[in-house]
Amino acid sequence: MGLGLLASKAMRPASRIFNSQNPRNFLFRTIVSKPELQKPETSAAQAQPDPPPVDLPPRTPVAGARVHFPNPDDAIEVFVDGYPVKIPKGMTVLQACEVAGVDIPRFCYHSRLSIAGNCRMCLVEVEKSPKPVASCAMPALPGMKIKTDTPVAKKAREGVMEFLLMNHPLDCPICDQGGECDLQDQSMAFGSDRGRFTEMKRSVVDKNLGPLVKTVMTRCIQCTRCVRFATEVAGVQDLGMLGRGSGEEIGTYVEKLMTSELSGNVIDICPVGALTSKPFAFKARNWELKGTESIDVTDAVGSNIRIDSRGPEVMRIVPRLNEDINEEWISDKTRFCYDGLKRQRLNDPMIRGADGRFKVVSWRDALAVVAEVAHQVKPEEIVGVAGKLSDAESMMALKDFLNRMGSNNIWCEGTGMNPNADLRSGYLMNTSIAGLEKADVFLLVGTQPRVEAAMVNARIRKTVRANQAKVGYIGPETDLNYDHQHLGTGPQTLLEIAERRHPFYSTLANAKHPVIIVGAGLFEREDKDTIFSTVETIAENAKVVRPDWNGLNVLLLNAAQAAALDLGLVPESGNSIESAKFVYLMGADDVNLDKIPGDAFVVYQGHHGDRSVYRANVIFPAAAFSEKEGIYENTEGYAQQTFPAVPTVGDARDDWKIIRALSEVAGIKLPYDSLGAIRARIRTVAPNLVHLDEREPATFTASLKPASSQKITLTPFENVVENFYMTDSITRASKIMAQCSALLTKK
Amino acid sequence: MISNGLNSATYPEIVSASASQISLSTELRSLLLAELNSSWSSTMLARLAAQRLAEIRQVFRQPIRSFSTALNYHIDSPDNNPDLLWEFSDANKEKVKEIISQYPSNYKQSAVIPLLDLAQQQHGGWLPVSAMNAVAKVIEVAPIRVYEVATFYSMFNRTKVGKYHLLVCGTTPCMIRGSREIKDTLLKHLGVKRNEVTKDGLFSVGEMECMGCCVNAPMITVADYSNGSEGYTYNYYEDVTPQRVVEIVEILKRGEKLPPGTQNPRRIRSGPEGGNTTLLGEPKPPPCRDLDAC
Amino acid sequence: MAELKEEGYLRCLPDGNLLQTKIHNIGARLVGVDKFGNKYYEKLEGVQYGRHRWVEYAEKSRYNASQVPAEWHGWLHFITDHTGDELLLLKPKRYGLDHKQNFSGEGDAFIYHSKGHALNPGQRDWTRYQPWQPTKA
Repeated sequence: MGLGLLASKAMRPASRIFNSQNPRNFLFRTIVSKPELQKPETSAAQAQPDPPPVDLPPRTPVAGARVHFPNPDDAIEVFVDGYPVKIPKGMTVLQACEVAGVDIPRFCYHSRLSIAGNCRMCLVEVEKSPKPVASCAMPALPGMKIKTDTPVAKKAREGVMEFLLMNHPLDCPICDQGGECDLQDQSMAFGSDRGRFTEMKRSVVDKNLGPLVKTVMTRCIQCTRCVRFATEVAGVQDLGMLGRGSGEEIGTYVEKLMTSELSGNVIDICPVGALTSKPFAFKARNWELKGTESIDVTDAVGSNIRIDSRGPEVMRIVPRLNEDINEEWISDKTRFCYDGLKRQRLNDPMIRGADGRFKVVSWRDALAVVAEVAHQVKPEEIVGVAGKLSDAESMMALKDFLNRMGSNNIWCEGTGMNPNADLRSGYLMNTSIAGLEKADVFLLVGTQPRVEAAMVNARIRKTVRANQAKVGYIGPETDLNYDHQHLGTGPQTLLEIAERRHPFYSTLANAKHPVIIVGAGLFEREDKDTIFSTVETIAENAKVVRPDWNGLNVLLLNAAQAAALDLGLVPESGNSIESAKFVYLMGADDVNLDKIPGDAFVVYQGHHGDRSVYRANVIFPAAAFSEKEGIYENTEGYAQQTFPAVPTVGDARDDWKIIRALSEVAGIKLPYDSLGAIRARIRTVAPNLVHLDEREPATFTASLKPASSQKITLTPFENVVENFYMTDSITRASKIMAQCSALLTKK
Repeated sequence: MISNGLNSATYPEIVSASASQISLSTELRSLLLAELNSSWSSTMLARLAAQRLAEIRQVFRQPIRSFSTALNYHIDSPDNNPDLLWEFSDANKEKVKEIISQYPSNYKQSAVIPLLDLAQQQHGGWLPVSAMNAVAKVIEVAPIRVYEVATFYSMFNRTKVGKYHLLVCGTTPCMIRGSREIKDTLLKHLGVKRNEVTKDGLFSVGEMECMGCCVNAPMITVADYSNGSEGYTYNYYEDVTPQRVVEIVEILKRGEKLPPGTQNPRRIRSGPEGGNTTLLGEPKPPPCRDLDAC
Repeated sequence: MAELKEEGYLRCLPDGNLLQTKIHNIGARLVGVDKFGNKYYEKLEGVQYGRHRWVEYAEKSRYNASQVPAEWHGWLHFITDHTGDELLLLKPKRYGLDHKQNFSGEGDAFIYHSKGHALNPGQRDWTRYQPWQPTKA
């Protein structure tokens, strides 16, 4: 008894000292107001060492995050809520939490942008740290004990949220971001149910950023994601943070439109409704929309997109994550071309009468007329041209149809009259788009990736920023948004490099991972073979193609090109169109219509009344990419599939079905009735096309090719894409794209 | 309404009372009355609402407390637009070179603040957008990076100021010692509002944060841009009184120079008024040590 | 005679309900008349509780309950003790709509057709695309 009393007396002061010296208790008492937290005993109980991790339920990383250890020795162990997790050195606390399966709220942090650390939403508690720590900017240190679920962290988030909402207008009901707003979601999850702010809210003047991005700057929470995106990814240093304190605002200071081809992405990265889509403004709420995961066809990159539709209408297009192709960005053309899908549509089969006017007819009549004419002409006078938006199935069907008619004059527009379709390495991006990130020297030959393939350009810019890669460019004067050397304008410079006379040759030869990108615009040149063999000479001399590294690339222009060359859409003779009597244009709007003889019978099958319809004798309405299921192969040989998001318009049909029906009427029935059957047919020709969502690299390199004996001409390379915003029938029909090209392209 | 049904005995009086008010009051008020059905609580609510309205009005009536002289965005005007040609003068080009030489060649952008300051002195105390563009060109960054800096610091004026830009310290020690009266006197004497230039282009009055010599509060700064960047001075006039600032303004108007420092004739620098009261003689050595021994 | 006809006394002969209302009206207090001319009566003594308020419709032949305007509805159905004339003062001036009787079953003109219905004069066009016009060729 006596001893026990003595012991308790001795213990008491000690324990009191322990309690008062514990910094966490002190913190709890001062900044936490919840009643249970004001009792130091309970909080002391909470401050006890964490329970052994065996009791914790296993956690899965957020969004399937995987940890990659570049160097196994650099692995460190941290504890997130008592759960040990191994991460590589240099990761931030926030990333460590993600690996441990804890999603930290954040506004300013974005994994693809530099770290700003100014929203303070990601505050967590770290043991032995006197204050909550901004986890996005804090590197994780070995043995760090991170606590994301403690009252301190919760209180900190609640406080930050209250400050953020202080000047944020309460206009969620009229805000386009409503329903997909980070601030809305996180204030529900982490915010308080009331605020103490009674003064007037601040208001900010809206900025005019052009026809694509709508600004409501009062809603801005100054996360600076858009500023960092514009500076780092898009490469247009227009946006900035102006002013200070409560008067701080995002702006351009001087009146300036955002003239980037990636500007639409700021809509996605804005965590609030400050930057929203102008064409989509007040058109729909996001929960009414049906998302269809599909593929973009406006360029050869094949960006992964989600088509959001309401009923029969495409309401907007947003990007989908694909690390290999477009990361999480898409170009403005991809994002805003959708209103072209609603204008100038062909919805009924038509026949041009004797008076030169079109008359709406039934499918039966139209097909009968075409079949009859096709049989009246000689087989070698039949010519088929696939358009730049054609899918692999329809090109297969068209080729089979023409072959059965006895003709082999079929090609895809943009591949030229004499394409090299024998070796896949001769027309693919062999390095792959993601592989470009390893490169340290680029040589761009006759290509302007910024307008031809904006996503590839973003990848090059990323590499230039990260590796200080050097870029040499041969071609007409252009505006690339990274540092580059303009080496020359034509084949002359190419020859100099090939003969090792040019100073850039040594740069190329000394590079570890050199990359040569040749533009597909050169396919149309007369001396294309010589240029390609010159490029191959350079590649050989500078060791661009090695067993472990293939840096010789061709950047294609159109979505259909790679698949067309895989399927062997190569014309038998180069000038067959000039002697043609029956021309089948499958969505081909960029063929030279003057070359078609006046007495030729022209069938136009397509979805838009664009250029070629005016020359057509019969029009077959077809489905656009948003309305059909079709395989597209992108410039790096990655086969992907579109899915129908909306029904076809009017009486239009899928492209391959029209050709299949025509073949039956013409008496040469093609042997496939379903998508599965036609894909089985494709498998026999080009099996890589049916291996969806998979990149099939070229097997053989170009060294197998015989040398060309053509003479090289010294005419400089030309601009291939005149107007980034209007390249095909869909974008030419789009009003938004017309606005963009009027306002944003440089005169 | 429900309670009304219960005590229907009192019903006619209330209705008549409220009805008479209905005819007088606005639609909003009548709705309120119908809701509450009691004249007492409605007047109480009305009073609360009026009080809140008055508060809101008060917020609007207060001058917006910002130290910067301009908006955070640029509006083109004849004397301030990006098309105007602006260049550093030849003498200043030398200075620019010297300033830039102080920074590593790959961190030229660090020179942005001194260069903006130089440009401001050269351009009579303010920075047109073309001057900022010129600075951006010198340090090889995008113009927006310079705009960011220029809008951040209130010392960079982005609208016209007078040849003598008078800045009154408004921070707590000066405020307690009467800086508000000084500012009001100045504004009244010159007949301008804050950040407005007098008609003769000589003066403008601004407010700034603590100048750091609070022992001589209150004080004003006179930034003298009348002689370009060569004759540029930036002087503190301390211990000012409303009478004294008017005198200072008049002296400056006559083009005379005035020695900076305390304006209290009975003080020497920051010493106490009327001479020292302590430490008058040689301080006594500490008793424990014999200083002569060392 | 004309006055008798006006007041609906002649209609009492074929219409027993109207006759009963007229008999009921004797000795009752006329509380108010709305703008359509419907008369609202109240009699507190000598009637069964719950039947002490009633209306005599202005329309003597084709009357129905939807002819009672909103402001009188509450009084008539014992929801409130405020008469319609009092409640009329609360009616919003800017957006308050005039009362309209329910014309269901009164002919084709009053049948509701949805926005896409062919008989709706303002039928909406649900075509969401613009077809190409061949006339331009």
